[in-house]
Amino acid sequence: MEERNVKTNVPMPDVVLQCLMPYIHDPRDRASISLVCRRWNQIDAMTRKRVTIAMCYSTTPQRLRRRFRNLESLKLKGKPRAAMFNLIPEDWGGYVTPWVNEIAKSFDCLKAVHFRRMIVKDSDIELLARSRGQQLESLRLDKCCGFSSDGLFHIGRFCRRLKTLFIEESLLIYERDGEWLHELAMNNTALETLNFYQTDITRVRFEDLELMARNCRSLVSVKISDSEFLGLVNFFRTASMLEEFGGGSFNEEAERYNVVSFPPKICRLAIPYVEKDKISIVNPVASSLKKLDLLYSLLDTEDHCLLIQRCPNLEVLECRDVIGDRGLEVLAQCCRRLRRLRIERGADDQGMEDEEGLVSQRGLMALAQGCLELEYLAVYVSDITNLSLEYVGTYLKNLCDFRLVLLDREAVIRDLPLDNGVRALLRGCQKLIRFALYLRSGGLSDIGLKYVGQYSENVRWMLLGYVGQTDEGLLEFSKGCPSLQTLEMRACNFSERALAAAVMRLPSLRYLWVQGYGASTTGNDLLAMARPFWNIELIPPRQIVIDNQNGQEVVDEQPAHIIAYYSLAGPRTDFPATVRPLQPQHP
Amino acid sequence: MSRAMVELDFFRAEKYRSSSKSFDRRRSFRDLQSAISKMKPELLKSLIESGSSTPKQDPTPVPPLPLYSPTNPKSSSSSESAACSQTAPLTIFYNGTVSIFDVPKDKAENILKLAMENSGEDSSKSPVSSCERRRFIHNLASDLPMARTLSLQRFLEKRKERLIGAMPYGGSKAYAFRDWKN
Repeated sequence: MEERNVKTNVPMPDVVLQCLMPYIHDPRDRASISLVCRRWNQIDAMTRKRVTIAMCYSTTPQRLRRRFRNLESLKLKGKPRAAMFNLIPEDWGGYVTPWVNEIAKSFDCLKAVHFRRMIVKDSDIELLARSRGQQLESLRLDKCCGFSSDGLFHIGRFCRRLKTLFIEESLLIYERDGEWLHELAMNNTALETLNFYQTDITRVRFEDLELMARNCRSLVSVKISDSEFLGLVNFFRTASMLEEFGGGSFNEEAERYNVVSFPPKICRLAIPYVEKDKISIVNPVASSLKKLDLLYSLLDTEDHCLLIQRCPNLEVLECRDVIGDRGLEVLAQCCRRLRRLRIERGADDQGMEDEEGLVSQRGLMALAQGCLELEYLAVYVSDITNLSLEYVGTYLKNLCDFRLVLLDREAVIRDLPLDNGVRALLRGCQKLIRFALYLRSGGLSDIGLKYVGQYSENVRWMLLGYVGQTDEGLLEFSKGCPSLQTLEMRACNFSERALAAAVMRLPSLRYLWVQGYGASTTGNDLLAMARPFWNIELIPPRQIVIDNQNGQEVVDEQPAHIIAYYSLAGPRTDFPATVRPLQPQHP
Repeated sequence: MSRAMVELDFFRAEKYRSSSKSFDRRRSFRDLQSAISKMKPELLKSLIESGSSTPKQDPTPVPPLPLYSPTNPKSSSSSESAACSQTAPLTIFYNGTVSIFDVPKDKAENILKLAMENSGEDSSKSPVSSCERRRFIHNLASDLPMARTLSLQRFLEKRKERLIGAMPYGGSKAYAFRDWKN
C-alpha cells in the first residue's frame, strides 16, 4: 500500500490557482488575495478583470498597466462628489487624457470604460474609439464635461460592437448636429443601452432613434434628453424589446397623447415634465413597473398617491419630496417590494410645490414598517424625530445605504438632538455601508457624533453635515469607524487641528473632503496629518457669481475645501489656479 | 421716549457687501426665522438669563463701540424690571443673513460682550464660557447654504420658465428633436 506523505507545506500549483481566481469577483476579496504572497499577487494581477479607481490621482496609468495588464473593465472617478452640487471649480481636474493614452497603447483586453466626473475632450474620445473601437462594448461618460457632439461622432464611426453608450448628465461644450446618433444607428447592431438623459442634446432626429430600434434588436434601455413625447410614437412601435425608457417632455394637449403606447416589456420609466392630465399614459404598464423616476415630473402629492397605488411591483422609486407623508404611507401599503427609494429636495419656494409636499417622521415611520426590503434610502425631510430613526433601525434590516438631510424649512425641530435615534438606527442596520447625515446646528451633539463612530462598524462612506458641537465630538468619532474609507464633511466647523488628529486616527481612511471648517489662512495646523503617500490639497475660499432662484446674479461666498487622499503618484502635476497643494516645508 | 438702534456688524459683513457685484438681501420670513433658529436655543436662553441676573457678576464692563448708542438716560436709573421691559431692536447682519431681535439694553450688552470675546483673541477665561463661545462660533461661522444637485437645479429653472411662459408652448425644448411633426 502506498503511503501518502501529506506534507503540510505543499504549495498549490499555479495552474489550480489560475483556475480558481477568475471565480473570485469581489474586489475586496481580490485585494486580500493579492496580499497573501508574491505569487498570489502575480496571479491576481494576471487574472483581474475589473478595476475601479475611486480617485484618479491615487495612482498612474503606468502603474495600472504594470499591474493589471489584462484588464477588461476600468472605472475611474475624478472630481470630488461635491462637484455634483456645483461646489467644485469646473477646471479642478480629473483629465482622462493620460488614461486614454495608456489604454490606446497597452490594454488589449479592455472592453468597458467608465469615466465618472472627469474631463473628457473630443480628442480623447477619438483616440479611444480609433484604438479600441473594435473591442469596446461599453463606454460611460458619466457626469463628464469637456467634449462635444464631434467627439460622439467618432463613437458611432468606430465602435461597431458597442452595447452600452451612456453619457447621462454630461455637459457638452458644443452640439453641432445630430450626426453622431445617425452614425451610430447606421453602423451598430449590437446596442443594448443608449443614454443621453439629462443632457442638453437637442439636434438629434427621431428617425435616427427609429433606425436604431430597427437595427439593434437587443435594444432594451433608451434614455434621451428633452423632446416632444409625441415624436416617440413610432420609436415605441419599433423598439419592441424595450424594457427601460426615460426622457421626453409634454407640450401638447392631453388628448393627443392617447396615441402613445409603450412597448410591451417596459418596466422602468423616467418621465420628466409629465403632468396630472398626461400621467395616464403610464396606466397600461403601471402594474409591470419595477422602476419609476418622477424626479423631474410636474405631479402633486395626490398624483403621486394615485400613481403609486397602480404600481405594486415597484422596486425602485425616485421622486421629490412632493410625494409627501401621504405618498409614503401609500408606498408602504402598496409597494412591499421596494428596494431603493430616493426622495430629493423640491423647490424651496412653497408656491411652486404642493402644500402637502413635505416629508417628515410620519412618512418615515410608515415607510419603515411597510417596505421591509429597502436596501437604499435617501430622503430630504422637513421634520424628524428620534423615534422615526429608531423605527428605521428596527424594521429596515436590509439597509445598506441610508442618507438623511434635514431641510431648513421648519424654523424649529422639536426633537433635537438626534443622538438616540441615530444610535438606534446604526445599531439596528447592521448591513449599513454608506451613511449620510446632514442636519442643522444642534442636530447632533458631541455624544451623538461619538455614537456614530461607535456603531458604524461596516460603514465605508460617510457624509456628515452640521453634526457635533466641538472638536471633542470629532475626536471621539475618530476613535471608531473602523471601516471608514471616505469621509465628507460640510459645515461642521471643526478646527484644523482636530481634523488632522481625526484623520490620523481613522484606520481605514483613504479620502477626505471637508468644506466649512475652522479654516486658517495658512492651513498649517493641517500639516499634523502630513505623512508619506498622503496628498493634501486646498481649494481656498472663492467668490463666484451665480444666479439665485429669482434669476438675479448674486455673489456666492464659497468657503475653503480640504481634499486629502492616499496616492502612489505623488502630488498632482496639473493643478489649476483654484487648487493648491499643502506640503510641509522641507528643511 | 426714543428707541435706540443697536447695530452690530459681526465679522465685518460690510466688507463683503461693498466689494460684491450685487447682494441679494431679499429674504423671506422663513429665512429670517431660520437664521434666528440657527442660534442655539440654550445660548439665547443663557443670554436672557444672564441678562436678568445682577450686573455685579459681570466683572468687565462693556467698552463703548462707535455704533452703540445708549438708551434713554432715564431708564438707567429706573428699576431693573423697567430696564428689562424697555426693549430696542437689535439688528445683526451676518454673512448675508439679517436677524432682528427686540432686546433690552442689558441683554444687548451681553450679546455685544460675547461677540467681542469671540472676535478678539481666543482667551481661555473660563472653561464653561469658552465652550459656549465655540458653540456660538460654530453656529454662525458654519452657516453654509445647502447645496442642490445640478440636475435638480436645472429642472427647477426650466420648470419656472415653462410656468412663466418664456418658452413657446410652455416647453423649454418644444422644438427639440427636429421636425417631430414631420
